[in-house]
Amino acid sequence: MKEYSQDLSSLIDNELGDKEVINTVLEDAALQKQFSRYQLIGDVLRDESNVLDLRMDVTDSVMAAIANEKQDNYVAPLSAAPEPEKSNVVPFMKRFGQYAIAASVAGVVVVSSLMVNQGSATDPSVAPVLNTVPFGGAAAPVSLQATPLQTKSDIKERNERVEALLKDHQLQLQTQP
Amino acid sequence: MKHRLFLVALMSLLSLLVSPQLIASPEVAQSEVKIETKQALPSALIYLNNMKQAYQKLNYKLLYLNTAHNQIEPKQLIHGVVDGKSIAYFYYLNGTMRESLQFDGKISFYQQGSQAYSLATNRDQSVFANIANFDFENGNKNYEYIILGRDRIAGKKAIVVRMISKDQYRYSYIVWLDLESYLPLRLDIINKSNQIVEQTMVVSLNISETINPWIQQLSVQATPEVLHLPLTTIGELPKWQLDWMPPGFEIVKDDQHKLMMHDTDPVSYIMLNDGIVRVSVYVSTKQTELAEQQNIIQRGGTLIYTKQTENIEINVIGEIPLLTAEKIAASIEPSK
Repeated sequence: MKEYSQDLSSLIDNELGDKEVINTVLEDAALQKQFSRYQLIGDVLRDESNVLDLRMDVTDSVMAAIANEKQDNYVAPLSAAPEPEKSNVVPFMKRFGQYAIAASVAGVVVVSSLMVNQGSATDPSVAPVLNTVPFGGAAAPVSLQATPLQTKSDIKERNERVEALLKDHQLQLQTQP
Repeated sequence: MKHRLFLVALMSLLSLLVSPQLIASPEVAQSEVKIETKQALPSALIYLNNMKQAYQKLNYKLLYLNTAHNQIEPKQLIHGVVDGKSIAYFYYLNGTMRESLQFDGKISFYQQGSQAYSLATNRDQSVFANIANFDFENGNKNYEYIILGRDRIAGKKAIVVRMISKDQYRYSYIVWLDLESYLPLRLDIINKSNQIVEQTMVVSLNISETINPWIQQLSVQATPEVLHLPLTTIGELPKWQLDWMPPGFEIVKDDQHKLMMHDTDPVSYIMLNDGIVRVSVYVSTKQTELAEQQNIIQRGGTLIYTKQTENIEINVIGEIPLLTAEKIAASIEPSK
């Protein structure tokens, strides 16, 4: 132990080039404590102790906080535990929704659709609506141009409806005799 | 070369037309026509029937692109025959793993992140199946088959056959067939203005004598549980019927059920089939707010047409032109 004291003080003074000593210090908790004591002594001597004291306090409190947090993390899943069970109970229909998404595997219509304006032929003043509506919540680029008459929830409801119809259509196709 | 072939075809056709036998007994003559044209130049019908055989019987692997509305989706199909039964393994090449396996009366779906399941089906669901399994002999009531010429697809010599709809209620098709194997190499769905609505194009074709070892292995693997669609008969729902159907279509399903996703939505359901396309007709009392432009949704050949009247909503979904969907929706009336 004693033989390192000299090395430690060299280390503090940035005069130590021996890697082995550094490695030893890194592995030995007692030496680390000694090192920080030496540092502290040096700081006190240089009149920087106030700042350092404060810092040490912070370290302690952070450590304590981390310890607490770990415990919190353990608590959290336990309190949330009933949830998966709940979703197990949630009905066949919801599960079937999941199946239905996959049913589009063999189908034609997969992720998005283009809304085509019906009136474009008769009424040129109505700009063609090129709404890319996401089906199945897929990550397709979305640009919704809502006409002022329609609220967002209307569009959402409409999309859900179309999606439901489309999935049903796909399933019916798959199981056609 | 093309011109000469065409001339030969024309000449033989003309000579057959004026042949007195044909007028005397059409049946005998027809069989003669078949034999003769087979020797000289196979008719479009023969090519199409060869395609049907090849698509069901050969061991092959197709890499193909599906293009609709400027979206291109690369896919793969491996087909084989195990003990005389077709097995087809399909998967998407890009994005999330999505696969399906059809074998022995079942089709199983596998997708990353969701539970695998199977459905009972005897109809081939693979890419060219709708065209390849068409009853071409009877189909000539609604389609005319014409050889357009030769082309080259996926490095193979191909013959191009056009199936022209005889009316305006369905799409026309152009099929490219491999001249060696007769497998379909490309399929264009064409609307009446001759625009391509949707296209499927093979980029790589691999035919083998023996079955692909991978699907051989899959054929013995256990498949996920078969789901049965819950068919709900809802008594109080009024019944509906169609007053009009496009020629060649027939009703293959007629029931009342709840939409799979929305168990709160009971619908009256009718499915129409003309051998190539299937059309779903939904009638329900539920109405969603509908802006004027939103009653038509189209992607590739598939159309979703919505019509709302005072108290019902009609949805028509299928690979049909808008005109057809409008006429079907307009013909819905209460069942007597």
